[in-house]
This record gives sequence, C-alpha cells and structure tokens, in this order.
Amino acid sequence: MSLVIIGMNHRTAPLQIRERLSPAPCGDRQNPLPLLIAISDVREALYLATCNRVEILADICESNRAVSAIQEFLIREGQICADELQGYIYIHYGSDAVRHLFRVASSLDSLVMGEPQILGQLKEAYRQAVEGRATGVVLNKLLHHAFRVAKRVRTETGIASHAVSVSFAAVGLAKKIFGSLEGKTILLVGAGEMSELAARHLMNHGADKVRIANRTYKRALQMAEEFHGMAVPFENLSESLRSVDIVISSTGAPGYVIDRDMVAEALRRRMNRLFFLIDIAVPRDIDPAAGQIDNVYLYNIDDLQDFVDENRQKRQEEARKAALIIDEEVEAYQSWFDTLKVVPTIVSLREKLEGIVRGELERSGSWIQQMNDGERQRIENLIGAIVNKILHDPITGLKEESRDHDAIPYVATIRRLFRLDG
Amino acid sequence: MDLLFFKASLTVYLISTLGYVMSLIAKRVLVARISTGIMAVAFLLHSVYLITRYLHIGFSPVLTRYDTLSFFTWVLAGIYLILQFRTKTRVLGAFVAPVTSLLMIMASAGLEEAVTIPEMLQGGLVTVHAALSVAGEALFVLACCAGAMYLIQDGFIKKRKVNPFSRLLPSLRDLDRINHVCLVVGFPLLTLGVLAGSIWARSVWGSHWQWDPKQVWTLVAWIVYAVLLHQRLAIGWKGHRAALFSILSLVVLFLSLLIVNRCFLTVHSFV
Repeated sequence: MSLVIIGMNHRTAPLQIRERLSPAPCGDRQNPLPLLIAISDVREALYLATCNRVEILADICESNRAVSAIQEFLIREGQICADELQGYIYIHYGSDAVRHLFRVASSLDSLVMGEPQILGQLKEAYRQAVEGRATGVVLNKLLHHAFRVAKRVRTETGIASHAVSVSFAAVGLAKKIFGSLEGKTILLVGAGEMSELAARHLMNHGADKVRIANRTYKRALQMAEEFHGMAVPFENLSESLRSVDIVISSTGAPGYVIDRDMVAEALRRRMNRLFFLIDIAVPRDIDPAAGQIDNVYLYNIDDLQDFVDENRQKRQEEARKAALIIDEEVEAYQSWFDTLKVVPTIVSLREKLEGIVRGELERSGSWIQQMNDGERQRIENLIGAIVNKILHDPITGLKEESRDHDAIPYVATIRRLFRLDG
Repeated sequence: MDLLFFKASLTVYLISTLGYVMSLIAKRVLVARISTGIMAVAFLLHSVYLITRYLHIGFSPVLTRYDTLSFFTWVLAGIYLILQFRTKTRVLGAFVAPVTSLLMIMASAGLEEAVTIPEMLQGGLVTVHAALSVAGEALFVLACCAGAMYLIQDGFIKKRKVNPFSRLLPSLRDLDRINHVCLVVGFPLLTLGVLAGSIWARSVWGSHWQWDPKQVWTLVAWIVYAVLLHQRLAIGWKGHRAALFSILSLVVLFLSLLIVNRCFLTVHSFV
C-alpha cells in the first residue's frame, strides 16, 4: 500500500490540455472515477479536476504497475500524445503526495494563492469519490486531515486575507464602496481575459447583471451568452454608463474610450449614485480626470497592481508560515499511516494484552503471592497460553491478508476496537 | 437615588467607550461587539435614571440645561443602538460612544444643583417641544458622525490607500445611507419641535415669533437642513457632497445652541 498523486496544474500544463480532463463546469464530461477505480492495482482513488488543475490521488499496491496504468488513463482520457505526457504531469509518492495534497487544499498551490474556492472543489471531489465508493480507510482519513489542515492554515496564517490578484483587489474595493454587491450591474467594455476574470469575481460576490459593449457586436453577443448578460451597442456607451454601477474597461483603443464628460453626464443621470470605474487597458481607456469627480472611484491597472504587490509580499511571508504548519501535519499523518502496517499493529496488540495480564496479576496480589513459585509459574503460563490462543487467529489472519490483499481495513478495525492508538 | 443610576450609566458609557477604542486599536470586531452590549446596558441604566429623575423632580427631565444634555445623550445612544441592530456598522460606535461619554460628563456637572424652573416652562407642550427638538438634533449629530466617517473613507479610496483602518470602516454606501436616514427622520422631528415651541411661545409671550436671536439662528439652521434635504431627495445629492454639507449644517445648528445663549440676550435663555 502506498499513496500517489499524479497531476497537472496551471504551471505544468496548458489550458487546452487541462480542460480535456475537466468535468463540468469547465468541460462537459462525467467524473471518470469508475475508470480509475477499475484499475486493479488502485485500491482507493479521488479525482479532482478544476479549471486550473487535474489531480488523481490514489492508494495503490503495485507502484509501478498502478502508476503506468493511471498514466495510460490520462493519455486515453485527455487524448494526450504519450510522449508529451511526461512534460505535463508531476508524480508524488508517499509523504510527498500527502504534502502536495495539503498544499493544494490550503490553496498554497493555487494560481491565486489563498483563494478559497479550491477547498470547496476538493470537498466536492471527495463527496463524489465517497458516493462512487472509491474511498476507504486511507483516503477518508487523509482527506479529512487535509480539510483540517486547510482550516488551520486559514485561521493561523493571513494567507487568505490579502488580495493578490487584480480581480480580488477589484472585489475588495467594490465592497468598500458598495457594501454588498447584491443587485449591482457591471458593464464590460471590450473583451479580455483579465476583465472577464474580474467580472466573474464580482459576480461570485453578488453582482448579478452584466452588460457587454464591444466594438464587434457579435463578440459582445457571444460574451453576453457566456455571462447570462446583455450585449449593448458600443456606440451607445454613454447611455449604457447610466444604468450600471461598475465599469470594467479593457479595449485595445489607442485613446480614451470614456472621457470625463461622459462620466459626469452619466453621474448626473444616475442621481450621483456611487460609480466604480476599473480601467485595466493599456493604454488607458478612461480619462484619469474622471476620477476627480465626486462619487466616482477610478482605478487603473497600476493602482490595482500596487495593492496586489503590497499584498503579495505579505502573503509570501504567510506562505512560509503555512509551509511550517503543513510540514507538521504531514508528519502527523505519516505517523498515523505507519501504524496501518501489519507488524506494528501485531506488536502493539501483543503489548496491550501482555500489559493487561501484568496489571491483573499485580492487582490480584495477595492470594497469588501466597502461592509457591512453582504454582505461580504454572498459573502465569496458563494465562499466557490463553492469551496466545486468543491472539493466534487474528494475527495469522492479518498476516495472510497483508500477503494477498489489502490488510488496511482489518488493521484499522483492530486498532480501533482494541484502542491501540491510546 | 436617581443620581446613583446616573453615575452608574455614566460609568458604563465610559467602559463601552474604552471598549470601542480598544476595538479600533486591536482591530477586532469581537471587542466592538462586546462594547455594543455594554452600551446597551448603559442605555438601560440611563432609561431607569430618566424615570427616577422624573419621579424625583416632578416634571419631565428635559427642561434644564443639564437635563437636556443627558436626554440628548439618551436619544443619541438609543438611535445608535437601533442602527446597530439594523445595519452592520459597528465602528460607528467608536465615534458615538466618546460623544455620549463626553456629554454625560458635561451633564453631571449640574445635575446635583437644586432644580428650579421658571413658571412658564411648566406644561406639556414645552416638554414636547424640548423632547422633539433634542431628538432631531441627536439624529443630526449621528448624521454628522456618519458624514465624517464617509469623508475619511472616501479620502482613503480616492487616494488609493486602503489600509487596515479603512478596512475597519463601513462601506461608503452604508455610511451614506445612515446619513440619509438620520436626516430624513431628524428633520421632521426638529420641525415639529420648533412648531410646538412656537405654539407654546404664543401662549406665553403672546405671539408665535419674537425675532429672538436664538429663534433666528435656529431658523437659519432649519433652513440649511431643509436645503440639504431637498438637494438629497430632489436633486440627488449623495456621497461626498451630502456628507460634507451635513457636517457644516451641524456646525450652524450648534452655533445656535452654544454660542447664542452666551453672547446674546435671549428670551430662550434656559437651554
């Protein structure tokens, strides 16, 4: 029995590879867990696929065979060229696998370090694994441990409290301005990965309506469908400004797309309601003079980046603290994992019973002390023989199980029933 | 007996002020939450005091200068506590609590004096006049507090400096809304208070209006607030300008309350 993680993330594999292995919402595939668990050397498995990573966590028996079977699975499912696969994936064994899982769960390995979604995604993956009966003693314990570690990292370090991406910074500011984003409308001017990401983050925090203005109307319609929003004609930008609360602009235009007068006019029409403008275009889309108007808050990419840089530094420090916590927890898990081996269990089972015998002999004190040595020896031998007889079957059973099958459930049961873990 | 409750509530107000200040330093919401609870206790003690005070002096405890201060504090604390339970703006307490403590200390200076009030101040209408005006003014003070916090927060966000302190402050929209609600509720109260006063004035002095400096100043302040409210409701003044204006309006109002009595001869010399 041993643990392995085979995976790929945003650093090791490009999106077009990762998305082939992602079930909904990134792709539209079913969770391929049954295929994994069908591999004969895989005892327990968990399949985690998000937009940024694919991780297969498994408890396997025959390392080499199992690992190559899982790789074949990846090649088949991801339609990846067999020669290229090695460049995309990483493989961690044993305590390295545990550490990797803990890092993933605590969001230390995320694209945006400290973002909270990954833990939810991991919990969902685990739920599916449990429903698919793909987990057992080892993964159950490991995953619960991972959830605990994530929580500990979250509460004991400040890893999650500093915005480290432009879109997180935008959400933080929007909340400082509007309080709740519930019912707020976003206007996306121009398309772009970063502006879409920012819009998505704002929507995750409650903003529910999106308008999209793009020079090519067709693209605007496309995006509108993606965001369940509404496309508005680019020429009517001034009018569109009136009915929205947050503007995210990222066109490739050489000059200002939104000038001061447009903003001032829109503000008048909207009865001076607070107005948050985010300009992530380079060169800039929104006239900086617009930011001087009362009740208008204009941030460009550099302003947001300043936040991010400052916070990133703080977060690096927090990440170091988190790494220490994880080391500690990996050790804790490993020492539990080691107890699952058969021999230590037999040893501690014996010790426990011998301890009981010794204790009872001492307590029974007076009447045994009165016997002569010979008689006492005979009684002790008798008790020893009974204990051995009782232990004989379970111990042989354990040894046999460990030879041909998975002894872990038995080991775990015995440890629990006899309270060998104290 | 009544002063015992007064002292008790003053002490508890002080403790809650201390708690709020500590919550700002420690930047912990829990400390502020406890302070709110302490302030609620102070408010209850204060309520008990007002009842015992009424029983003791035999007329409503809003008519002498020091009683007014204490009543003012009571309204301020009460409204703040209501706001607190309706919105999530605990930090506002850090601005309100020190004001309550300060006003209570000022009130404590004169409460032990023997209470005599002129003949003409006795009667139900005068109590209505004082209570409504004081309640309206307390709301304006809260509007001003929210406005001041708005300007601070606005400055942080405009200057692109969001630091831990600004994280603790409520969002701009919440502050603007508190400012709005306080004005919208406070203005009718003050208006009714002034009307009650003028009706009572006719019964005492024979006419509704005496061109008394106090009356004139108050009218000016009332007009300033009327303009502010009009701009807010009809023109759509929001945020920065409304916050600034509500602070200036309070200055005008307090000039009438504090300065006029000292510097001018006025028939309204009691408070």
